[in-house]
Amino acid sequence: MKCEEFELIGLDAGRDASLSETERAAIAEHANSCARCAALQSSWQEARKELRALAQEMSEAQAPARVEMRLRQEFRAQHSTWKGRRTAVAAAWALAAAAVLIAAMSWIKWRDSQQVAKAIHSNSATIASNLPSGGGSVASNAGTGDFNTEDDSVTLVAGNESGNFMLLPGVQAADIDDAEILRVRMQRGALGAFGLPVNEDFANEWIQVDLVVGDDGSPQAVRLLKE
Amino acid sequence: MRIVDQEKDDVLLRQAAKGDEEAFTSLYRRHQAALYRFALRMTGSAWAAEEIVQDVFMTLMRDPRKYDATRGTLGGFLYGVARNRVMKHLERLPREVPLEVKNEDGTGPGIVLQDASTPATLAEKRERLERVRAAVLDLPAEFREAVVLCELEEMSYEEAAQAVGCPIGTIRSRLHRGRALLMARLEILRDLPRRATVAK
Repeated sequence: MKCEEFELIGLDAGRDASLSETERAAIAEHANSCARCAALQSSWQEARKELRALAQEMSEAQAPARVEMRLRQEFRAQHSTWKGRRTAVAAAWALAAAAVLIAAMSWIKWRDSQQVAKAIHSNSATIASNLPSGGGSVASNAGTGDFNTEDDSVTLVAGNESGNFMLLPGVQAADIDDAEILRVRMQRGALGAFGLPVNEDFANEWIQVDLVVGDDGSPQAVRLLKE
Repeated sequence: MRIVDQEKDDVLLRQAAKGDEEAFTSLYRRHQAALYRFALRMTGSAWAAEEIVQDVFMTLMRDPRKYDATRGTLGGFLYGVARNRVMKHLERLPREVPLEVKNEDGTGPGIVLQDASTPATLAEKRERLERVRAAVLDLPAEFREAVVLCELEEMSYEEAAQAVGCPIGTIRSRLHRGRALLMARLEILRDLPRRATVAK
C-alpha cells in the first residue's frame, strides 16, 4: 500500500464497512512500516478525540421551544384555512349538482310536454278517421276543448301502450291510473251515453270499442277500432 | 433509522397531513434535534440553525407530498431539505462571522460544558472546544458537511452518502480532504497560544 492510499482509506479503516479484510491487513502493515503515516494516524486520532469532545458537548443541543410554538401556530392557521376551503368547495359542488339536477328535470318535463302535444294531434287524427260522421265532430270538439284533452289527460293517452285512447268528458288522468281495458261491440249511438256526439244517421251501426274501465266499473276513456 | 421508526414516521406524517396537530408535533420532536445540530454545526449560528429547522418543517407542513416514502426515509428527506437550506445560507453569507447568540437558558450556541471541573480546567476545555469548532467552521462547505455527518453526527459512510445524495466514494474523498485541512487548521490553532506565550 502506498502513502496516498493510506491517507485516503487508512485513517478511518475501523469505521469504513466497505473495506475488505485484505485491505485492512495492508493498512495495518503500512502503518507499522511507514513512520510518516503512523504519525499522521496518531495526529488524526488526536484531532478525532477533540471532535468527539465537541460532538459530546453539543449532543444535547436542540431547537429552542419557540420554534415548536411557531410551527404549531402555523399548523393550526393553515389547517383551519384548509377546512374553510374544503367546506366552500363542497358547497360549490353541491350547488352545481343541484343546478344540473334542476336543469335535467326541466328538460325532461319539457320533452314530455312536447310528446303530449304530439299525442293530442295523433288522437285527433285517429278519432277523425274512425268516426266518419260523428268522429268529425269529436275531432272538432277536441279542438274546441269540449272533451277533456288537457295536458294531464292526454299524458295518460300518450303513456298508454295501446295508444289512441280519448278520455271521456269529466275524467281526470289520475282517476284511471289502475284502470283495465275492456273490448266491447256496441252500436255507435251508445257513444252518446258517454257524452260523445253521435251522427244520427249512423246511430245503429255496430262498432268495436276499447273501453278503459276504472276501479268503480265506470268507463273512463274510449278507443274506436276499425271493423 | 429502524424500519419501525420509519413506519411510525410515515403514519405520523399521514395523520399530520389530515390536520392532526399532535402527529405533526411528534414528528417535529423526533427529528428537530438532529436537524438543529446539523444546521448549527454547519452554519455556526444558532439563529440560522433555528431558522433552518423552522423552514424545514414549514416545507413538510405545506406540502407533505414532497416526501416520497419509496425514495427513502423521512429523516433522510428532512436532512436533504435542511442541507439545501444550509447551502443556500452559506452561499448567501459566505463570509458571515457567527455571533454568539444566547440560548433561552443563557448558554451559547450549543457548547455547554456539563462536568464539574475546576474553573481553570473548564476554561481550557472551553477554549479547546471553541478551537475545534472554529476549525470545523473554517472548512469549505462540502468538506465540512462530510466531517459534520461522519465525525460529529457519527453517521456511517453509507448514511452520509444517502443524506448528501452522492456515492460513498465521494464522501470518503471529501472526508479525506476535510481531515487533512482540519488537522492542519488544528495544528495552527494549537500553535497560536504557544507562539503568543513565547513572544511575551
